[in-house]
Amino acid sequence: MRLAVRASFPLQLTLGLLILSVGAAAALLHAPLAHVLGHRAAPGAYDLTRMVLLYATLPRLAVAVLCGAALGASGTILQQVLNNPLASPTTVGVDAGARLALALATVWAPDLLQWGRDLIALCGSAASTALVFLLVRRRGFAPLSIVLAGLVVSLFCGALSALLALTEARQLTSLFIWGSGSLSQQSWSPFLSLAARLLLLAVPLLLLRRPLALLDAGEDSARSLGLPAARVRLAAIAIAVAISALVVSTVGVIGFLGLVAPSLARLAGARRFGAQLAWSTIIGSGVLLLTDLAVQLLAGASAQFLPTGAVTAVIGSPLLLILLPRLQSATRPPISSTGATVPVLRRGWVAAVTAALLLLVALSVFAGRGAMGHWTLLTESWSTIVTWRLPRVLATAASGALLATAGVVLQRLTHNELASPEVLGVSAGSILAVALALFAFGALGAVPEALVATLGSLVVLLIILALGVRASFAPERLLLAGIALSALADAIVGVVSASGDPRAFQLLAWMAGSAAGATYGDALLAAAAAVVVLGAALLAVRWLRILPLGAPVSTALGVRLARARLALLLIAAVGSAAATPMLGPLTIIGLVAPHFVTALGVRQPAALLLGAAGAGAGIMAGADWLARTLVFPMQLPTGLLAAMVGAPFLMVLLNRRDERS
Amino acid sequence: MTAFSRRSVLLLLGSAPAAGRCALAAPPTRRVAVLDWAIAETMIALGHDPIAVVAAMDWSRFVIEPALPPGVADIGLEQQINYELLAELRPELILTSPFSQELEPVLRRIAPTERFSVFEPTRVPLECPRALMRTLAARLGCAPQADEFLRRADALLESYRGRIASLRPRPVLVISFLDARHARVYGGNGLFQNVLDRIGVVNAWTGATNYWGFATVGIESLATAADVRLVVIDPVPVDARPTLAQSPLWLSLPFVRAGQVSVLPPVLMFGAMPAALRFARVLLAALEQGSA
Repeated sequence: MRLAVRASFPLQLTLGLLILSVGAAAALLHAPLAHVLGHRAAPGAYDLTRMVLLYATLPRLAVAVLCGAALGASGTILQQVLNNPLASPTTVGVDAGARLALALATVWAPDLLQWGRDLIALCGSAASTALVFLLVRRRGFAPLSIVLAGLVVSLFCGALSALLALTEARQLTSLFIWGSGSLSQQSWSPFLSLAARLLLLAVPLLLLRRPLALLDAGEDSARSLGLPAARVRLAAIAIAVAISALVVSTVGVIGFLGLVAPSLARLAGARRFGAQLAWSTIIGSGVLLLTDLAVQLLAGASAQFLPTGAVTAVIGSPLLLILLPRLQSATRPPISSTGATVPVLRRGWVAAVTAALLLLVALSVFAGRGAMGHWTLLTESWSTIVTWRLPRVLATAASGALLATAGVVLQRLTHNELASPEVLGVSAGSILAVALALFAFGALGAVPEALVATLGSLVVLLIILALGVRASFAPERLLLAGIALSALADAIVGVVSASGDPRAFQLLAWMAGSAAGATYGDALLAAAAAVVVLGAALLAVRWLRILPLGAPVSTALGVRLARARLALLLIAAVGSAAATPMLGPLTIIGLVAPHFVTALGVRQPAALLLGAAGAGAGIMAGADWLARTLVFPMQLPTGLLAAMVGAPFLMVLLNRRDERS
Repeated sequence: MTAFSRRSVLLLLGSAPAAGRCALAAPPTRRVAVLDWAIAETMIALGHDPIAVVAAMDWSRFVIEPALPPGVADIGLEQQINYELLAELRPELILTSPFSQELEPVLRRIAPTERFSVFEPTRVPLECPRALMRTLAARLGCAPQADEFLRRADALLESYRGRIASLRPRPVLVISFLDARHARVYGGNGLFQNVLDRIGVVNAWTGATNYWGFATVGIESLATAADVRLVVIDPVPVDARPTLAQSPLWLSLPFVRAGQVSVLPPVLMFGAMPAALRFARVLLAALEQGSA
């Protein structure tokens, strides 16, 4: 009986969506429809309303339905295969890869776009997805790890896209339109070609439907039924990635729809895979159709260009928060971040690396490029070094140390080696605040902007703390709240940038950080913050040692969990907030530095903290040096360069440790 | 040490001799670095070349004329200034616009920094770029050059207006393509609208625009039954033409069917007087060619 009631829920939801869509469609279409039906066009005469209805409005709605269905299906497949209620093309990094590949092609090889937008998007998606899986295979595809790795890869791709946008300022708008998913159409051909390609993919999907459904019963029983589980999973992932890449290549990134649709289907009571797939497809198309109708109705009222994909992301990212409680059951027991392998401390290596890092810092102070673009070493005037380089190197190095410390603390706190400062959402808070201020009041100048940014990160901190109190600072929830917030900030930056407003450029530049103009005051402030944060972390070293052993053990050892978590959280949040003014919101160094030191065999929390802070400082100084000299006289944003250097480096590190175990 | 070039002025104002070089007025500030292209092109038009400008390597792709004099240093991207290099160039004055104002505290460590307004919506066409030229000239000690330039520019625009009047062109839609599905359409209070008003061309775009005088729209928004000419500003993305060629909506548009489409060479949209004159000239040429 209860089952029957449940089963009717998706139907009710779909009916609701349908009724709303019909209402919105009526509002949008009644005038042109009445016109077209009322007037019999004279042959050969030009009828504007008719043409727009037939070749712009209707294909657009059809594309919305098709893309929504495709993303709903793609998300359901990913969730089923990965046994992860938070998986979707957006959260697993599929979208970001396609978006980056298209951006690269737009800037460097525009001729390619003419021939194979699909292929470019597909290559990008495949690469980013492969990368995410590479990152998590050591952790047995744990749901939280996949989402975190997806975030890391997305941020890396996003950093590269933003870098491209900054250097190719005049193509900025077009890059962001694709990143934000506009459904605007002028003919039926995109719809028809997308439909044809999706139909081709539907054949293998239907063949895989039963084997995939068997995964419901669990891996072992599936295998006992003679199912080649690994091959089924791989094929299904390939299909899901291809579906979403095709959507991105046709209309751009429709953020989070692949998460929203399957979640709604499940919330509405679809339990088994077949039902979920069917309902998620239907609900996905309904949600996108309704969103796009709303966007079109709104767009009629304002001059603001509103890309539908970014709107779905703004709606969808908070859904991550709502879904958090469901994750608890799916999360495996925490694996100690110390892992199974205990590498031996390699003293020789430690000495060599320390020397190399010091050399890097020295290099970044004393080597550069002169006015004619020639390389210089020790030939720069003292005034250049003293006025510009020294404070800059000090400030970036101190910020690197801050991020590294925050990273170590977070990774220990959450038992997750992929946790990094950005997943706290602190920098997302400052981005949102600055974006809001920039668009409400115009350019404010450096000091008020810094204040606004600080205010934004403080608000997020307070939200984190409030959420934390309710969940007694359960690390998974906090991380995912941060991810949701980062995604929201990303979507809003996307909306703003896609409109072509010149202020978007200022926002991007602010996000890139202001290391270049650092004064001794900035350097001193960053250094002081680094000393305080590192000192506080060193005082909390006992917690850092015990917490990774899990909550029961920690409590048994006399740690008051809530208090310890709150203190560590504060340290991490202050550390990442203090580094943001110099480096922007890209804090991947907080992930790279701790892993770097761990790879050298450093295990003791205190040594790890000191080592990671040193490595963070050194790597950051090196990244800043590259940012300054690489494409002289052009200066690249330090934070972006650190992300570009750091991300591949991180993958190598994680992969190496994997092979050893 | 800076090579003052009259070529740019001559280029804009036909073969009339320029009114003289700014430097002769013995301004105290000869070494000026500029963070905004509109200011830079105005300075070049005044015969007072900047010593350094942002994104100089993109100048020839987007501004084109006045040409950037040889020897002008590139100090990096608009929002990522190469401060070390800028300091080494020892400017006596740095000029910014509201788009770069948050960099001013750092710039002041190098040289005195002054901000000029490069865009404000005004009721009188071209009032803002004219004001920019006058205030800039007053600051740099070349007010007579500015008066002379503006006088000649007015004469030129007036003659364009006369030629337009005799052409009786249909209204225009001025756009640039962002990709195969989206365009930026100009109107409102932007520089291009100012020029259209000044030379007497009617803008067919009646929709809303943002503060800067443009709107980002899907290409279907350009559909209009009216008898208009489409003016496309280069560059056009490679996939725009083939994609549009497949669109029944596009192919049925009156201006497409009648071949009333012109493509103009690139013009700096966030430019000043020189960009305005360039736009007026290339537009007039396109309209004259279109009606021939």
